[in-house]
Amino acid sequence: MDIIETRGLTKQYGDVVAIKDLSLQVKKGEIFSLLGPNGAGKTTIIKALLGLIVPTSGQTFIMGHNVQEEGKLARKYVGYLPEVVSFYDNLTALQTLSFYAELQGGNVQENQGLLREVGLGDHATRKVGGYSKGMTQRLGIAQAMIGKPPVLILDEPTSGLDPRGAWEIRKKIRELNREGITIFLSSHILSEVQEVSHRVGILHHGTLMALDTVEKLSKKLDLQPKLQIELQEVKSNIVSHIKKIKGVRDAKIRDNLLEVQCDPRVKAQIITALEEIEVGITNFTTVEPSLEEVFLKYTEE
Amino acid sequence: MTGKSIYAIAKKEFLDNYRNKWIIAITIIFLILTLVISYFGVLGSNGWTDLTGTISGMMALVQYLVPIIALMLGYASIVGEKEKGSLSLLLSYPIKRGEVIAGKFIGLGSVLAVSILIGFGGAGLIIALNVSGIQWGEYLIFIVSAILLGLAYISLAMLFSTICNKRSTALGGSIFLWFLFSMIWGIILVGIVIANYGIDAISNEDWVAPTWLYVFSMINPISSFQLLVALNISSVSTGIPGSFPTFYTTPIIATILFLWIVIPLIAAYVLFQRKDL
Repeated sequence: MDIIETRGLTKQYGDVVAIKDLSLQVKKGEIFSLLGPNGAGKTTIIKALLGLIVPTSGQTFIMGHNVQEEGKLARKYVGYLPEVVSFYDNLTALQTLSFYAELQGGNVQENQGLLREVGLGDHATRKVGGYSKGMTQRLGIAQAMIGKPPVLILDEPTSGLDPRGAWEIRKKIRELNREGITIFLSSHILSEVQEVSHRVGILHHGTLMALDTVEKLSKKLDLQPKLQIELQEVKSNIVSHIKKIKGVRDAKIRDNLLEVQCDPRVKAQIITALEEIEVGITNFTTVEPSLEEVFLKYTEE
Repeated sequence: MTGKSIYAIAKKEFLDNYRNKWIIAITIIFLILTLVISYFGVLGSNGWTDLTGTISGMMALVQYLVPIIALMLGYASIVGEKEKGSLSLLLSYPIKRGEVIAGKFIGLGSVLAVSILIGFGGAGLIIALNVSGIQWGEYLIFIVSAILLGLAYISLAMLFSTICNKRSTALGGSIFLWFLFSMIWGIILVGIVIANYGIDAISNEDWVAPTWLYVFSMINPISSFQLLVALNISSVSTGIPGSFPTFYTTPIIATILFLWIVIPLIAAYVLFQRKDL
């Protein structure tokens, strides 16, 4: 049985088609990611899965229950983390979880444990109005776990978090998945999706552009990160010198910015090579392949 | 619908208003104003008025203040949570939208009912210690009528809260509603009377008002409240001139007030059901 399913899901807001005839299935135990830029329709799909919006046509199912017809029953199996998490400012973390536990039919006694699990054990009796973005997000994860639902739907779970916070969330997602929980998440970051999920749906203007396993997707895309090096001075022999390194696919200079497309493992060699010809470096960054490049790859075919 | 989810929502609404001291503030306002009206209300005499006399003085207080408080309690109930984003999370739980509407109405209604009961009731007890010949029955009718009026306005405020996509629009709508029933309604009725019967009709004591005027006066929730009290407590007068028509009876007036509670709530439920978040 499919844990999550959409059948011909279409959602129109006036003249704007947010989602167009979308059908997809997610199997038990999968981590499925929806990848797409803002406005691609990721949140619309998630809201339709939860019955928060009424589809123009088509249906959504959770554990085989039609969300449009028996939403209350379907939602019993789901924990949800919205893109923008917002709680009731004047409640403490414990009071917040107790309220949701009453609705979910979860055990109120487990709340303290849930808070410890997400690292909020010491802030259980603080009002959530005073929480930082990171703490609010972690409380969001805790509420989604109330009653141990078999499905988690996470809308941009790492957005707005610092790298460490994002890493913690990804770790938690994998942990929960190992416990057998099916996870459906959305993201606009390719590397994050590649790191955490089993299967990916690439969404563009409300339609699925591709639906593949992460391995196949990575192989097909073959996109490599780009190294951007800010130089103190530009010398004529830099490009030819860099291109000699094995693993460098391309190198070019614009103003004082050297862009190198290469195997991530030869980054250090490139820096050394620049030192050899006595070129000073003021800064350097790695640029992940953008979603635009991904779309280009798929539309080229 | 199940009672459990409705209870959880109602309890949260009630506790919210307890935590932010709203319920205490309203109760104290009701208590103090009742005592002031009872003690200083009758011109030229300082000293306690009996409960029946106090009710006459409190009519104005209730018909202006109770709707304002009820609208304040209810106008943000749905749209406020929608604007903040907590409504999406709430509705992702195994709960029906009707249960959210019902729970919020019961919770907010309890806040108002408890404030009125303790505020007016407490003041009534203090007054009873100082005067003799207390008419508790009449006072109770007055309290229940005030609660019904408040519930009607909470229901209307929740309807606005469901329709509007912005908190500020819902607030504007609520303010309009207050003016509509407290001021505009009467002005429009007088205007129509003057247009049809001439300016003399109003000042002429022998003029017999047409039935429609009595009907339209009656269906205003503020008038319903006044009539409900006036029909049961003889010392209380309403602004409606002449002798009451035969259809001004307690069951009919009570039904109108009841419909003012139920119909907006059902409308809010129907609209909320189809609303995209």
